Amino acid sequence: MTEQSIHLRVRRQDRPDSPSYWQEFKLPGHPDHNVVSLLMALREHPVTTTGERVDPVVWDHNCMEEVCGSCAMLINGVPRPSCSALVASLTQPIRLEPLPKFPVVRDLLVDRTRIDEGLKQVKAWVRIDGLWDIHEGAPRIGPNEWAANYLYSRCMSCGCCMAACPQFGPHSDFLGPAPLAQVRLMNAHPTGRYDARERLHAIMGDGGLSDCGQAQNCVRVCPKEIPLTTAIGELGRQTTVQMFKDLFGPS
Amino acid sequence: MSTSIDNPHFLLRRVHSLLGLIPVGAFLIFHLWENSQSRLGAEHYNEQVVAALKGMNYLPLLEIFVIALPLLFHAGYGLVISAQMRSELLRYRYPRNHLYWMQRISGIGILFFLLLHVGMTRIQGFWDPAVAEDLYTHMQALLSQPWLLGVYVVGLLLSVFHFANGLSSMAIAWGVTTSVRAQRLFGGFCVLFGLLLAALGLHGLMGFLR
Amino acid sequence: MSQPSVIVVGGGLGGLWATVRIADAGFTVTLLSLFEVKRSHSVCAQGGVNAVLDTKGQHDSVRQHIIDTIKGGEYLANQPPVKSMCEDAPGLIRTFERMGVTFSRTPEGLLDQRLFGGVKNKRTCFAGASTGQQLLYGVDQQVRRLESEGRVIKHEWWEFLSLLRDEAGVCRGIVAMDLRSLEVRAFMADAVVMATGGMGQLYAPKTTTSTNSTGAAASRCYQQGAWLANAEFFQFHPTAMIGHDKTRLMSEAARGEGGRIWVPRTPGDRRPPRTIPEVERFYFLEEFFPTYGNTVARDEAARAIWTVTQEMGLGLGGGDRVYLDLTHLDQAFISTRLGAILEIYRKFAGVDPVTEPMEIFPAAHYGMGGLWVDFERAADGGIANGSVRNHATNIPGLYACGECDYAYHGANRLGANSLLSASYSGRVAGESVVSYLKGFAGTRPGVREDLIADEVARQQGLNRAIQEGQGSECPYRIHQDLGALMTAKVGVVRANPQLESALSELRQLAERLDRVDFGAANPWAHQGLVFARQLRDMITLAKVVAQGALARDECRGAHYKPAFALPIPAGTFPGDPAFEAYRARWQENNHQWLKTTIAEHHDDGPRIHYQEVDLSLFPPTDPRDYR
Repeated sequence: MTEQSIHLRVRRQDRPDSPSYWQEFKLPGHPDHNVVSLLMALREHPVTTTGERVDPVVWDHNCMEEVCGSCAMLINGVPRPSCSALVASLTQPIRLEPLPKFPVVRDLLVDRTRIDEGLKQVKAWVRIDGLWDIHEGAPRIGPNEWAANYLYSRCMSCGCCMAACPQFGPHSDFLGPAPLAQVRLMNAHPTGRYDARERLHAIMGDGGLSDCGQAQNCVRVCPKEIPLTTAIGELGRQTTVQMFKDLFGPS
Repeated sequence: MSTSIDNPHFLLRRVHSLLGLIPVGAFLIFHLWENSQSRLGAEHYNEQVVAALKGMNYLPLLEIFVIALPLLFHAGYGLVISAQMRSELLRYRYPRNHLYWMQRISGIGILFFLLLHVGMTRIQGFWDPAVAEDLYTHMQALLSQPWLLGVYVVGLLLSVFHFANGLSSMAIAWGVTTSVRAQRLFGGFCVLFGLLLAALGLHGLMGFLR
Repeated sequence: MSQPSVIVVGGGLGGLWATVRIADAGFTVTLLSLFEVKRSHSVCAQGGVNAVLDTKGQHDSVRQHIIDTIKGGEYLANQPPVKSMCEDAPGLIRTFERMGVTFSRTPEGLLDQRLFGGVKNKRTCFAGASTGQQLLYGVDQQVRRLESEGRVIKHEWWEFLSLLRDEAGVCRGIVAMDLRSLEVRAFMADAVVMATGGMGQLYAPKTTTSTNSTGAAASRCYQQGAWLANAEFFQFHPTAMIGHDKTRLMSEAARGEGGRIWVPRTPGDRRPPRTIPEVERFYFLEEFFPTYGNTVARDEAARAIWTVTQEMGLGLGGGDRVYLDLTHLDQAFISTRLGAILEIYRKFAGVDPVTEPMEIFPAAHYGMGGLWVDFERAADGGIANGSVRNHATNIPGLYACGECDYAYHGANRLGANSLLSASYSGRVAGESVVSYLKGFAGTRPGVREDLIADEVARQQGLNRAIQEGQGSECPYRIHQDLGALMTAKVGVVRANPQLESALSELRQLAERLDRVDFGAANPWAHQGLVFARQLRDMITLAKVVAQGALARDECRGAHYKPAFALPIPAGTFPGDPAFEAYRARWQENNHQWLKTTIAEHHDDGPRIHYQEVDLSLFPPTDPRDYR
């Protein structure tokens, strides 16, 4: 358990519209450091390897238990939450870059509004009359169906799947895997499925489901191991049926 | 609200996908099957294969509507789709990511190959009656040039890959295979199918070189 | 007069419930959050949410839920709100279910319920091991729906700085700051709801809370005149995994399944744990509590770990940690029973608890105290539906809900009651605000423009002062010192001399904060500046916690001052003269201390007074007796 020096390379960017540049840092390590705790240590003493004192690295983090989705970034080239990236398991120098595909705000902080926009676009909610008690719950859901649904409800909008998707990015209007998986989830709910047609139509438009290129990187990088490609397959089936209904009725 | 009829995006993608199988893919199977008969010799090939096809009623219509136009749409729209690709092969070294990339690259490769292939056979046949009359000899002459044989082998393999891999993604896109297991199983089937088709095609090419 | 509008600050479970309830009533809600609302700390609640459904054949009753909550909080909670919360819990669960929350199911497809700490009946609905996340997402989706209909306007990446009050002292809006551009501007509204969460970061890094749970927003309201109540009551979770950045919750199930807590008997023993022979291990919970052993209650366990590490100096390597050991158990057995939670340890500690003992320490988990809020008692003993007083702070027009209020947990919170109180209080606060808005007759004069401009300018001035600050201090190091100070002196075990010294050290920390220097830092998305501002308000809040703890000379719930402990005389039972004498002392103590602590801000520090607790339903007659 000897303390070793940790070598860090960070891609920095001062403003959304300014060019990015790299800075290197060396700081004393602890065996149980993760990338968030490393950046926390760094911000107390933000001096580069060339001895220059710089602004602390700006990044996003909150729960540090891999459940809020804030701290995703590119670590040694792979998109993942930084709180669960243990330094001991990373090859050095550790390269930190902002989560790609999303606009950079500053340094490692990105703007993931597009995930939220996608969720709005696909109507990722169950329409209920209001948040009051109607003295009745929702219809029953069997444990097996629950187990399948639960996988998707754990999506924390970290954006890793979108970052890894070769079809998603500023160049395209593809929704990306995360909002699509929520359509799968909402369409499975016993009352949520009342609006299944609307959601399917939403993902049958521009940037919808069929922009998926089946590269399946999303499912590989998802920190929550959400079966995104299964959702995409299931939505493929639902949209196929919907297409025939649209074409030949009844819709 | 945009329905799938109001917004053609979805239908276009599905038509593109479907055309890849029927008729384009189906034609590929047929075409490789027919040409595999090259090993039976010039006489058989020219009379039983080429002439028989030429004897079909409405052949030009079939060629235009069942082969050329679907192929052109599939190719053209495929180029549009490919433009959306931002592949990072080194960052994400997963097999499916490489297949995704290959699907688009092979599509572009096939396009060049087909220009050459159709140009040297069907189109050249319009003004060079010798090509039309003795296609076997013509092909034999072409394929005897090593570089052109190489081009044909590559073109063939790209086409077969594009078809087999397209089939496996098509199954996901249409919702035939949803679970990881189903996708893997059907992927395996597509590999076997592709190998078989490639063997058939190579066999046909070799048939001209006897 | 245009349609009244409301500002909700905070997008956790409480804030989102309030938002939806107000928007559903037809009023426009402006929702401010430090980040995308679905990243709020509510997601961290794992275990579940209490509601009596009585579907487990145990004759569970709402009455029992009320009693468990009240007794768990050692009678310090006002009873009408507790009663209404427990009564409404099943309805809240049904509403969550309708939103699509993926609650775990029974084989019949109904909501499953599990047993949770401190109660006898299965009463806790859960959604796998991520109940808080699922509940928050359920309401988040409803807010997104309302947002797409234009009924909610979200301002994410905005920080609340201060309240705007008119000349009559009524809250009429807020001043907030864009966390990217640092633009400071006023947001006007007819009512403001604070739903800004807990303050666990006062104890960082020995806290299970998220880094944004600073309590800064509540502190800012307090500094503008809102009362803080019961701030000294802070729940510590005994078994949290140690980390540089935070301590992560390790479920009690690890002890329940046979985990043993120990330290080497030799101080500073640095041998690998598995090479230390049995006789040289100190299984202190088993020695201190022969009956319960390792499964002793949360607060007892936390105090025992405290004693062993702080007073006996037996912490691992001389530090703040002890072993939670599962390695003696059958590997297959613990993998089946504890798979999910062991995975968390593997993931974050990088060590397999099946083969290596876990290292744990108590961590600040939940603040029972917070902004004081009112309630109106109804004839049935609960709170009056739709009363404008429910969840109103002492500032007219300002409401509070969620962990940032003090209302439901008294001196200690029952497990799985936090998601319930967050949701319920959000809903009630929303309904109160609706009544408040509907009560407006005619028009009110607007807030004077110069008052608004002055406040915006004052806040901009605070930013400038930090940007121009000179010295050698770093706010992050001051924060560490704050956390260490609070953990050591205002933590699990408290004593007046330490609390007094903590108060003076807090003043020194505040002075150090004047010397923070960021150099010529880039002002765009300047997290350091934002944090320095929060830290100042955290220190103010910490003073309230310490002052409240100093003033309260007793042991109650999470507030433990051994010098004033009233233990039950050993071997005595009701009827024995010794027990009855103890009972008399206990009642006398209640007479003096069974009161809500209320802190009011003054420039020279918090001033404390006490308020009677509403004990109208279940007056305390018997001391807590877990024998």
